[in-house]
Amino acid sequence: MTPIPRLPATGRRTALLGTLGGVAGFGLARPALAQSGQPIRIGMSMPLQVQLGRDARAALGFAVEEVNARGGLLGRKVEVAFADETDNTEAGVNGVRKLLNDDKVDALVGHYTSGTFLAAMPHIARAKRVTVIVGASSPAIADRVKQDYARYKYIFRTTMNASNQSADVLDFVSGMLVGELGLKRIGIVAENARWAQDIATLLVEGAAKVGAQVTVNETVDNSTTDFSPILSRVRSSGAQFMMTLLAHSKGDLLTKQWHDTRVPVLWGGIDGRAMDADYFNLVDGKCLSMIAANFAVRAPITPRTIPFFDSFKERTGHFPSYTAWTSANGFHVYAQAVERAKTLDADAVVAEMERTNYEGVEGRIEFDDRHDARSGPGLLNYVFAQWQPNGERVVLWPKAIRSGAMIVPPWLSDARTPG
Amino acid sequence: MEVIVLGAVTSSVYALLAVGFTLIFGVARIINLAHGAFYAVAGYAAYILINLGGWPVLPAMLAAVLITALFGVAVDRVFVRPLRHSHMAVLMITLAISMAVEQGLTVAFLGEARSLPPLIDGKVSVLGVDVAAQRLLTLLVSVVLIGALWLFIQRSRLGAAILAISQDPEAAEYVGIPAERIFALVMGLSAALAASASVLASPFLSVQPSMGLLPMVKAFCIVIIGGLGSIPGSILAACLLGFTETFVAFHISSTWSEVISVAAVFAMLALRPAGLLGKREAF
Repeated sequence: MTPIPRLPATGRRTALLGTLGGVAGFGLARPALAQSGQPIRIGMSMPLQVQLGRDARAALGFAVEEVNARGGLLGRKVEVAFADETDNTEAGVNGVRKLLNDDKVDALVGHYTSGTFLAAMPHIARAKRVTVIVGASSPAIADRVKQDYARYKYIFRTTMNASNQSADVLDFVSGMLVGELGLKRIGIVAENARWAQDIATLLVEGAAKVGAQVTVNETVDNSTTDFSPILSRVRSSGAQFMMTLLAHSKGDLLTKQWHDTRVPVLWGGIDGRAMDADYFNLVDGKCLSMIAANFAVRAPITPRTIPFFDSFKERTGHFPSYTAWTSANGFHVYAQAVERAKTLDADAVVAEMERTNYEGVEGRIEFDDRHDARSGPGLLNYVFAQWQPNGERVVLWPKAIRSGAMIVPPWLSDARTPG
Repeated sequence: MEVIVLGAVTSSVYALLAVGFTLIFGVARIINLAHGAFYAVAGYAAYILINLGGWPVLPAMLAAVLITALFGVAVDRVFVRPLRHSHMAVLMITLAISMAVEQGLTVAFLGEARSLPPLIDGKVSVLGVDVAAQRLLTLLVSVVLIGALWLFIQRSRLGAAILAISQDPEAAEYVGIPAERIFALVMGLSAALAASASVLASPFLSVQPSMGLLPMVKAFCIVIIGGLGSIPGSILAACLLGFTETFVAFHISSTWSEVISVAAVFAMLALRPAGLLGKREAF
């Protein structure tokens, strides 16, 4: 059992705890209860060697610290155990088994890689532990919940699945690219992973319906380091916008190589690393003008968004990766359900989880019958934000929360420059 | 045309990596699995000097090459020399060094990829193909370095000593050539070549703890195809592999380009175990 690391105290601790954790999740403030009995143990499996894993760990720590400061959960202290998911499926599954069998956690919050989680699902089902996924997005996970509810009902997801992501990507294509900019020729670059291929397929099918045309649909391996051929094919296909679908691939190399060869095609899309606040510095500012899909950025998306971002930065020195708030949300959703159920019994907690109505950092969280967070107005949505000078992120889509004007790369005169 | 221009860049990086790897085998008869670690050490040395030390890019890259060369000499003196009599022991110790370097870098710098700034920014059009200026510089510097190495070995007294050791170590020692010093020098040269590839390619690739693995595998494949110990064979194989991979990536899929080197190794070991220009079977 890994203790939650002590965090530097600040004079604003009380205020910070409120904004970071989501006070609404626990109703009215109340006096701290005397914590008694065995601690409640939460297990987190995330790729801890990279920023999004470390941010998830930090955010879960903050959220747990907040709950403990208020007397714990059901009057019991909450502790956290961690496992490194790594980028290796076998190691990731072993990490989950370690949490379940050695650390004997009561619930799991975490999981970034869909393939690893799918492989770990039978172990979780056997252990009957409530599990909240904060990153893995393959619809296949929810498909299993739907198809074998009795076995997999313990699994929930507080982030958008790939189907919902593709709907939002298509909305961006329809509304902004085609509707506002008149960019109708789209080139897709998707990594060789299930979630990305799922979205690419839906995007190809949906593009024609919104007046767009997919000129090229490229698949890249996670090990690809030279993107020159791909960039060349996208350019020669006549694409006016390059849509990337990357999470485990080396999107930073694509960014640098796109910039260094001054590819005359505007681009953006889903890129796990480009969601991170430090991405601009990581690629030496070469992501300038890239329109990256995010689950949230520091913008007034919900009343919680800006306070969460500011508080996280106050305590860690940097803005959070998306896994930070999906982890905090995930823990609070679970904790709410336990409070309502007044027990840790997994079946009772599952019944309460299904009634979740929680205002998270990026939108309201409700679960559908597949235990996926719903998507739509007021719920979870993609925010398309453009990297602009000095690493600022300007929200371009949805239009309702647009925070600035779009820019184009310095080597393009306008967004409609032919590819 | 794109295949020719970009294939030449890829080939040049491969050649820099493979020539160093084959050089140490040709002279000291050891397979150095720490070659990828040299590549990683150079990348991080340059990163530290530029980003933490505030050094200008060119001096930092030159210093990184020097640091890595000295690291190579230290590896030879401390770890390889006592075990030189056993090929298996050298294989194991150099593999251990490679793993230790990767783990050390992971602990010190975490798993994140980091960037090196290019020596030259911007793009250049060559034969109608847009190429990043840094890539073109990589091609030119690689050609110059390999040419300089060739001249050094063929024309200098030290080069003659290296050749003598590679042909008959015992006879060379009888005539007063200090074999152990030559081995250390060649390890330093080999490390410097890997380091040069690293600081030239990292601006358009990235610096991360596992960055040495793929170059190590590529170098190994190339020297098997070209013939272990043969510098011309390595250059030829690097060009064959670089152009073929680029052709496949352009005309079929980048997913398939990674399979090429493995398939070529299988074919070479089955049809011509000595490699294209090797004089004898290495395995």
